[in-house]
Amino acid sequence: MRVPDLIKFSIGAVRAHRQRSLLTILGIAVGIATVVLLTALGEGLRQFVMGEFTQFGTNLIAIQPGKASTFGGSVGQISTNRPLSIDDARALSRLSLLDGIVPVIQGNAQVKFGDRKRRTMIFGVSAAMPRTFRMTLASGRFLPNQDYENAQAFAVLGAKLYTELFGRANPLGARIRVGEDSFRVVGVMQSKGQFLGFDLDDTLYVPVSKAAALFNRNGVHEIDVLYRLGLSSAYVSADIKRLLIARHGQEDFSLTAQDKMLEVMGSILTVLTAGVAALGGISLVVGAVGIATIMTIALTERVSEVGLLRALGATRGDILRCFLLEAATLGAIGGGVGVALAIGVVALLRAVAPTIPVQVDWPYATAALLFASVIGIIAGLAPAVRAARLDPIEALRAE
Amino acid sequence: MLQLHDALALAAGSLRAQGKRSLLISLATTIGVAAVMLLTALGEGARQYVVGEFSALGTNLLVVLPGRNETVGGPPPVMGETPRELRLSDATALLRLPDVQRVVPIMVGSANVSVTSGKEREATILGVSAAMLEVRHLVVATGRFLTTTDTARVDASCVLGPTLAHELYANQAALGTWLRIGDRRCRVVGILDNTGVSLGNDFNDIALLPVAAAQALLNTQGLFRILVETHDSHGIERAANAVRRVIKARHEGEDDVTIITQDSVVATFDRILRTITLAVAAVSGISLLVAGILIMNVMLVAIAQRRSEIGLLKALGATARDIRTLFLLEALLLTVAGAALGTLLGMTGALVLRLVYPSFPAAVPWWGALGALTISLGCGIIFGVGPARRASQLDPVQALSARGP
Repeated sequence: MRVPDLIKFSIGAVRAHRQRSLLTILGIAVGIATVVLLTALGEGLRQFVMGEFTQFGTNLIAIQPGKASTFGGSVGQISTNRPLSIDDARALSRLSLLDGIVPVIQGNAQVKFGDRKRRTMIFGVSAAMPRTFRMTLASGRFLPNQDYENAQAFAVLGAKLYTELFGRANPLGARIRVGEDSFRVVGVMQSKGQFLGFDLDDTLYVPVSKAAALFNRNGVHEIDVLYRLGLSSAYVSADIKRLLIARHGQEDFSLTAQDKMLEVMGSILTVLTAGVAALGGISLVVGAVGIATIMTIALTERVSEVGLLRALGATRGDILRCFLLEAATLGAIGGGVGVALAIGVVALLRAVAPTIPVQVDWPYATAALLFASVIGIIAGLAPAVRAARLDPIEALRAE
Repeated sequence: MLQLHDALALAAGSLRAQGKRSLLISLATTIGVAAVMLLTALGEGARQYVVGEFSALGTNLLVVLPGRNETVGGPPPVMGETPRELRLSDATALLRLPDVQRVVPIMVGSANVSVTSGKEREATILGVSAAMLEVRHLVVATGRFLTTTDTARVDASCVLGPTLAHELYANQAALGTWLRIGDRRCRVVGILDNTGVSLGNDFNDIALLPVAAAQALLNTQGLFRILVETHDSHGIERAANAVRRVIKARHEGEDDVTIITQDSVVATFDRILRTITLAVAAVSGISLLVAGILIMNVMLVAIAQRRSEIGLLKALGATARDIRTLFLLEALLLTVAGAALGTLLGMTGALVLRLVYPSFPAAVPWWGALGALTISLGCGIIFGVGPARRASQLDPVQALSARGP
């Protein structure tokens, strides 16, 4: 049988039982749409999380005291007998590979202006903070670039803290009190929103040495460094390691490169997406059972037709191909309808609920489309083999 | 009027006549039902496991953290640096409250631990009091726990987690030997039992010190947390308020601590895991919808093939209602068979999971089973009604003539 004939024949068979084919296709379509939708949600989530982290830039390395876990954060940050000091941060500024060095001490205190008070997050940082974390000022300026020890008692307000303490009044030059210390407000940050549940606007930035005094702390929580674009994080990490080991005599700190962390997180989220896709795959399996059922029915109905074809010279291979192609056509059309359905729902979701991150994962969608045809072929295999094995004489007599 | 048992016999008979087809279509329902049941069993298992782990720590536990944020719903201040620290004297003061049974001041940090053989390891140092043993349900494998009840006393004894002890001493005896933690020497008085990694807390790779010794070692006074155990879980709200009042009074009237109840932590996890389970069940439930579509498809095919049979039944006096009942019964029988087999599979799957992982309580929750069965039967009825109606509306004469309308 020639290929065009084969295709015409199969499509004819699909069209002959319009309703039956439609329902079978619908079954596969629902399955495929589920898979594509779920992966779209997974992919959307991945891009959302990645976006959350990359908003601070990717050429960052965090240095923390003590052993760190995969996602950063170590017990040594809370307290350690071998702390990272502000002097370590100063020493790091000798490295020419680094563009910005931000020692961080983080805490929680009450900020007072006049009789207004608010408990908020306090960050002890350096002048390099806005450049390193890509933050911008709404008004005034950031902390000046001064030596850590002689830093003046200046403070920069987060957007939310500003409105809570000052309303709409001009805060620049005002004196605020934090604990026992007094600070002069020199700037207000642009709103940065939430990050993993932390409100980045409900914050106060002060010089790190002042924070150390405020919280009576001898070490910093971490030192974040920004390295020059185009350098590899491994190369920069090695340089930092060498310098700090020379100062400490041993490796009692840990480095977390932002790009490495993003890689780990990205792969975890990819696995998650695959897992979710597998969940949707259950519906696809059920849809495949539908194709198998319909092909079984088609075979019993068309026994005499098969017999006639064989009598007219069609080979067993021809019959096999005929039935397989019919099953594959059902699967492929189902896949197409399913993908179209999913894209429609994604567009709808975007319009109705823009906060839900959905993003059609095209590799998955394409794979789902191919997979649908493959599923059709697999489901149609058993009936097709049986059709091919029919004895032409017996088959013709069946009428 | 067709008798119900006659109708059942007729429906079952026609299903048997098309054995392979019936089997396949029940299989679709089976897969759906089994998937929903297994996945809800997994989700419920995870939820109960997590809740169980937390409840094992005691539901009458309060955690006091230094610092407080005013942003509602945000995470607690993790780092816990505040201008006014939580002091040991705060912890001691809490012990005087009527609802409070035990109080454990906690210091956390990291330091190098080294032994005379020269082995060295960076470990998590936990400064605690003797009450830690009861509050966190720790088990001592050999030796004893820290005994100082006077939290202000610097006592040169320490208890090691099993992993840390093994790393430092391999198979040699550790009890009674002296080791160095940072710049301080202390004597190993006990080794903890291997408790495995319980949620969020790995007691295997740590060294426990008296809290005053940890303060000296880490050169800081501020406590990381204070654990407060109340007499029972009823008094926990009252105790939380009392704790806040006492600390506020001791901190010059400033309310600068966060108090977390174990209950609220458990409730959060419970809610999250329940939501995930529901979502997963819903996704796998879509397969039941697909199964329903398939049943409708096959029923339509069956009606097309059995036109003359329907015509004959009608000619013999069967009403439209009888025919409808007959085909609806057939659809239902298919679903019921599939659902029964699916339930069996799902339950067996959960049982196998329980046998393989005895600590993981995977059991099909009642709502999972009920939901799977309701949806599958519902789908059977909804998708069976259309074909059944169509069959009942056939004109007997035309149906018998086999030429069709």
